[in-house]
Amino acid sequence: MITFIIRRLFQLVLVLVGVSLVTFIIMFVIPGNPAEMMAGKNPTPERVAVIEHKWGLDKPLYQQYALYVWHLAHGDLGDSWRFNRPVTEMIAENVGFTAQLAIAAVLIEMLGIPLGIYSALRQYTFWDTALTTGALIIWGIPVFVLGLFAQWLVGYKLGLLPITSADAASVFWVIPANLDSVEALIMPALTLGIIEVAYISYMQRSSMLEVIRSDYVRTARAKGLSERSVVLKHALKNALIPVITIAGIDLGALMGGAIITEAVFSRPGIGSMIYNAIGARDMPVVAGGVLFATLVYVFANLFVDIGYAFVDPRIRYED
Amino acid sequence: MGERLLEVSDLSTHFFTHAGVVKAVNGVSFTLDRGETLGIVGESGSGKTVAALSLLRLIPDPPGRIVGGRISLKGTDLATLSDDEMRRVRGNDIAMIFQDPMTSLNPVFKVGTQIAETIVLHQGVTKRRAWQMAAELLDKVGMPDAEARVKQYPFEFSGGMRQRAMIAMAISCNPDILIADEPTTALDVTIQAQIMDVIREMQSQYDSGVILITHDLGVVAQMADKVMVMYGGRTVEYGPVDRVYYDAHQPYTWGLLGSLPRLDATEKERLTPIKGQPPNLLLLPQGCPFAGRCPYERGECRGAFPEVEMLGDGHGVHCWIPRAEREQLRAGLLRFKGRVA
Amino acid sequence: MTDQLPPKDYMGRDLLEVAEMGPAKGPVEQAEAIAAEADELASTKPLSPWADTWRRLKRNKLALVGLVIITVFIVVGVAEQIAYMTGVQLTPYPPNKVDYTQLTPDGYPAPPSLQHPFGTDDFGRDVLSRVLVATRVSLLVGVIAVAIAVAIGLALGPVSGYYGGTVDTVIMRFADVFFAFPYILFVLLIMTVLGPGFRNVFIAIGLLSWATFARLNRGSVLSVRAMEFVEAARAQGASDLRVIFRHVLPNTMAPVWVAIAMGVGGAIVTEAALSYLGIGTRPPNASWGKMIADYNSMLWAGYWWMMTFPSICLVATVFGFISFGNGLRDATDPKLKE
Repeated sequence: MITFIIRRLFQLVLVLVGVSLVTFIIMFVIPGNPAEMMAGKNPTPERVAVIEHKWGLDKPLYQQYALYVWHLAHGDLGDSWRFNRPVTEMIAENVGFTAQLAIAAVLIEMLGIPLGIYSALRQYTFWDTALTTGALIIWGIPVFVLGLFAQWLVGYKLGLLPITSADAASVFWVIPANLDSVEALIMPALTLGIIEVAYISYMQRSSMLEVIRSDYVRTARAKGLSERSVVLKHALKNALIPVITIAGIDLGALMGGAIITEAVFSRPGIGSMIYNAIGARDMPVVAGGVLFATLVYVFANLFVDIGYAFVDPRIRYED
Repeated sequence: MGERLLEVSDLSTHFFTHAGVVKAVNGVSFTLDRGETLGIVGESGSGKTVAALSLLRLIPDPPGRIVGGRISLKGTDLATLSDDEMRRVRGNDIAMIFQDPMTSLNPVFKVGTQIAETIVLHQGVTKRRAWQMAAELLDKVGMPDAEARVKQYPFEFSGGMRQRAMIAMAISCNPDILIADEPTTALDVTIQAQIMDVIREMQSQYDSGVILITHDLGVVAQMADKVMVMYGGRTVEYGPVDRVYYDAHQPYTWGLLGSLPRLDATEKERLTPIKGQPPNLLLLPQGCPFAGRCPYERGECRGAFPEVEMLGDGHGVHCWIPRAEREQLRAGLLRFKGRVA
Repeated sequence: MTDQLPPKDYMGRDLLEVAEMGPAKGPVEQAEAIAAEADELASTKPLSPWADTWRRLKRNKLALVGLVIITVFIVVGVAEQIAYMTGVQLTPYPPNKVDYTQLTPDGYPAPPSLQHPFGTDDFGRDVLSRVLVATRVSLLVGVIAVAIAVAIGLALGPVSGYYGGTVDTVIMRFADVFFAFPYILFVLLIMTVLGPGFRNVFIAIGLLSWATFARLNRGSVLSVRAMEFVEAARAQGASDLRVIFRHVLPNTMAPVWVAIAMGVGGAIVTEAALSYLGIGTRPPNASWGKMIADYNSMLWAGYWWMMTFPSICLVATVFGFISFGNGLRDATDPKLKE
């Protein structure tokens, strides 16, 4: 087990290096004039000079990269020229909202698990067909389409929930501060969650169907175990594994991937931060935000992999 | 032998698929006594596994169903039992070992858990006691270092060890009948003999009846008292092992025995595999399923399936060829190839 | 998730494992296999892998519906592409021409009617025509993006799987980096640097998705490589490259087709999302996504048709690709075969 973790950590380091390299290339190598890009609109020559000095843009590339990594290691992602603040500060402000949304959405998508199991156990019945068809249709709906229509229908026409989350507030990062904030969370979370529920229920159903037909389930029945025990004990544990890992990875992915939902509902968060920065050509924020979200995603994957290895002992010994 | 444990008469199990009805088992009958070993041989698709699963009523429905016959376990017709009652039979009165121990054991549970749960289920002891018994059982089936092994996961075992674990699981509740479905097919040749030894030993210790399903005639010759030859879902010949092997009367059996490599064969004698393909169970013709491949086929063969012809000593055969002619044909084969019987 | 292609199969297994599992045992599977064999025997010639897949696919009604939907849209897309290239107008009205006479007498967008089945927008342009033209853009982006990804992925993947060792490690680590980024963010990052526009969209998506195809393919290649006919080809003196691309690759294509189907669906969605965010395709190359984004305000003003019809097309097309892709995957699943 330890060797597995060590191997994964080693892989992680490689990946992080690769990620920083890619971001570096995108930020510093591709643009014609990285200093000007980072300095923003109508930069003063002094400002450009300060940036050039800080990031060593007059030095050879590999030194620039080294400097870049050094900055990263110290938690310095550069400064937003638009707000004149360190990017890390902006991230810290926004991360709570995105985390709220991510957690809420993942909790909702867990509903897909019982749906998928039910569908699998009732294969070929009306409900199974209905649920599966529904899942496939909903899974394909782009988030922003669902979001826009939901916003119009529920927020405007029916007036049930706030249209935007622009004035959401939270305490301790992840807890909505007041009822308004909770209401503001519902629609974005549901929008994300419903589409994910469709996906998870389909995957869970497939997983369950496969497990139910397996040899070891047949052995369990041959031993005289009750059907309930066979399903809940033997089948379920195996069938849940792939789905739980999907959910875990989703949680990590949503940290950055909720950008569209945040844009639709004008919700503060990492995604919004990046989105607004794109419009304003505030490169450090864009790159910094993406880097942060990637970091979270990579670590989420790591935890999921390790968790997977705990649950499924075979994985520990594979390459 | 001992008391009569199992009496199967006219068992038929069909699968109702979208392409038609697959008559996997078609009117099969046999008996099993305490301490006796019955070998069921045949090619894949002959219906041997389905017959065994039918005994335990483990045929998935849909698409399969037992459509006819009686399965009498010590006098009780298993077909009449409720689901709950049947569950008490499984693992308890009749236990089964499956072909591929790699996939037949649940990978995410420890071996001890899997053995212990059967014990707890059928014998009502505490979990702690069940685990003790599990370790003892593993030891009994010849697992080295049983105490440690019982806490491990299946993937940490070799193929032979996994099969031992499966055997331990099967005998954990002293079953009257042990069904072994190709127990050694997925294993190394060197391990095969060991596993068969374990099964034999457990049989004598618990005085159970064993149904051994295999396509390996050698194993049957060594272990079984009776043998039943199946083809295309039907029994074509059965009887005491000696009789069937040395006095085979069905052309299919001749083919099976004739296709065995023998250590004393001279260079000139080649292996004669049975010509043709296994039958398509969906398009089974009326009559003898071997008709299409039988070199001695005649008119009646496709018409109806022959009734059993008793040859004495519990040896029965299903064949339209008159007895005398059969014996002549067989002698001819003997002359030419020196093989059959 | 909706933006990311799963790198393993739905059980979280490497596809190498799936390929190794081989045919299933067990009486139920045997019975199904027998049924399959019977189907085969019923026709007089032996079935090629394609025909076999098609036969199995036919049984999956959802997949067939998906296929029909995809075909309809592809036909429209191709027709529009030809129209675009030849300058012919295939739509009932000129899609981009402002025409205030088509509005209602009060000067508002006209609701769906016989002359305008999808209604008009606030400039009097026929929505149906605009949707038809947008079909071309949306589909084109999807197809080209996946084509790029496949080209790169199917070049690197087999090489990686065939040679193994260091080559394999290097390429796979490289792919790992691409998997590390959350999909949409990476695309956004590239778009920010490259700038918005039709061409940059499919470059960005294609550049990111290659890793999925490479990994997919490599697993199959690894297992096929060990098979005998590869040895046979090499014994005949075929060069490495030839062996890879002519012998090994064709046998590993099954999961790739599935990934292509899902990939095109995913790329179309991604492009739509990018357009909503403002950095996707731009007029006059409006895609469905752009239309949806632009006409959102019309929805609020009470004119629902401008946003709804492109949405329906988008959802239908994506559903088509997903359901067809799923059906294809089930139809080529080795565990359900003989």
